[in-house]
Amino acid sequence: MGPLYKFGWFDFAYSLQLAGLIGVMFGFLLERAGFGNARKLTAIFYLRDFAVLKVMFTAIVVCMVGLLFFSVFGWIDLSKVYLLPTYIWPQIVGGFILGMGFVIGGYCPTTSVVSAVSGKLDGLIFIVGMILGSAIFAELFPIVEKFYSSGSMGAVRLSDVLKINSGVIALLVCLMAVVAYWFVEKVENRFGDPETLPAGSRKVKMWAAAVLVALGLMLAIINPDRIAAKKTAAPAEKKPKTGAVQKVAPKPAEPESSGAVIIEDEGC
Amino acid sequence: MKTRYANPYLIGALLGLVLLFCFYTMGRGLGSSASFARIATAGVDLVAPAHAAANKYYARYLGGGRSPLMAWLVFLTLGAGLGGLFSAFISSRIKGEVIRGPRIGVGARLWLALFGGILSGFAARLARGCTSGQALTGAGEMAFGSWVFMFCIFAGAYATAYFLRREWL
Repeated sequence: MGPLYKFGWFDFAYSLQLAGLIGVMFGFLLERAGFGNARKLTAIFYLRDFAVLKVMFTAIVVCMVGLLFFSVFGWIDLSKVYLLPTYIWPQIVGGFILGMGFVIGGYCPTTSVVSAVSGKLDGLIFIVGMILGSAIFAELFPIVEKFYSSGSMGAVRLSDVLKINSGVIALLVCLMAVVAYWFVEKVENRFGDPETLPAGSRKVKMWAAAVLVALGLMLAIINPDRIAAKKTAAPAEKKPKTGAVQKVAPKPAEPESSGAVIIEDEGC
Repeated sequence: MKTRYANPYLIGALLGLVLLFCFYTMGRGLGSSASFARIATAGVDLVAPAHAAANKYYARYLGGGRSPLMAWLVFLTLGAGLGGLFSAFISSRIKGEVIRGPRIGVGARLWLALFGGILSGFAARLARGCTSGQALTGAGEMAFGSWVFMFCIFAGAYATAYFLRREWL
């Protein structure tokens, strides 16, 4: 059962190697999509090419649906997955400034790395800027600290705030994604350059959209929250059995090196 | 010179699977901006260790008796560089250049890149993450603040885009 690291399947040193592997896949995919090029990235803000939105939304939807199904099948314990805490005011202001930085500089942090390695000097300069910006934040930390920790709501999900179960949220997000794809493609066809826009068969897209909505619908009916609640309630009664299963993981639930790794910067 | 890149839906789906794999193995998501904060910390620590230790924000990256660069996200970012390099290499896209619109000079573009980088570095620390660590990862696990953050990125960018059209169009 995942997450493997939190169940002590491997140690910190191995996790760093895994980080490298995951990073390679991440960077490879970003470059494939053309995200090493600032003009390709910023084209979304001039309504010419919505690749950024398509990649992001698809990744989010696939991951979200995958996590919920994994949780339903008992493959992952979502309560052990680090959930980013909500600090609503700094997140709103930070998001807004990051968006401005995106248009002005042409990149976001990870894409600038991909850009710099493929020889783009502007990507490299952007990285230098980010290092300076981080240092400026740290130097100003005594002043911004109060704002930085304002609006704390704890680690809450959409389902907690909207009081709807996460299966229904998943369905809504799937529907939203499909509508967004349809809409941005209309916009692209009007303003974009047909030579650079991705070709794609309409039939495949319709099928993919149908599968996505069907998966969302299944989750809405299954209600993963209820199943997760049942699972956490059940093992408490049958203690010996879970002990037997834990033979797979020789170490206790928390990894040895957790104190050194799992700190507040688990975000990006 | 028109390049048609890979289909964004396909890339998005694969990226979602990578993110899912990351959650399954590590119990956390992707990210990169903290790496730059760590590089900044390592730099300040090298030049003025007392100053770094006295600052509450640098201090969070310094503990544990190991270098601030010996961290999970730093390795992920290094990997991302390697993966990007490989992808650019197989498509012969490695080329020294400055990406800019036809109506802006190289110097102006580089200054804007620096300024945008500074804003992004600052904002990512303020919001506890960037487009990958906060928006992508958080939205994938349905974190409330991350969804709000993501829409604010788009709001901020669209609000600014008009004034920078000479840089890109």
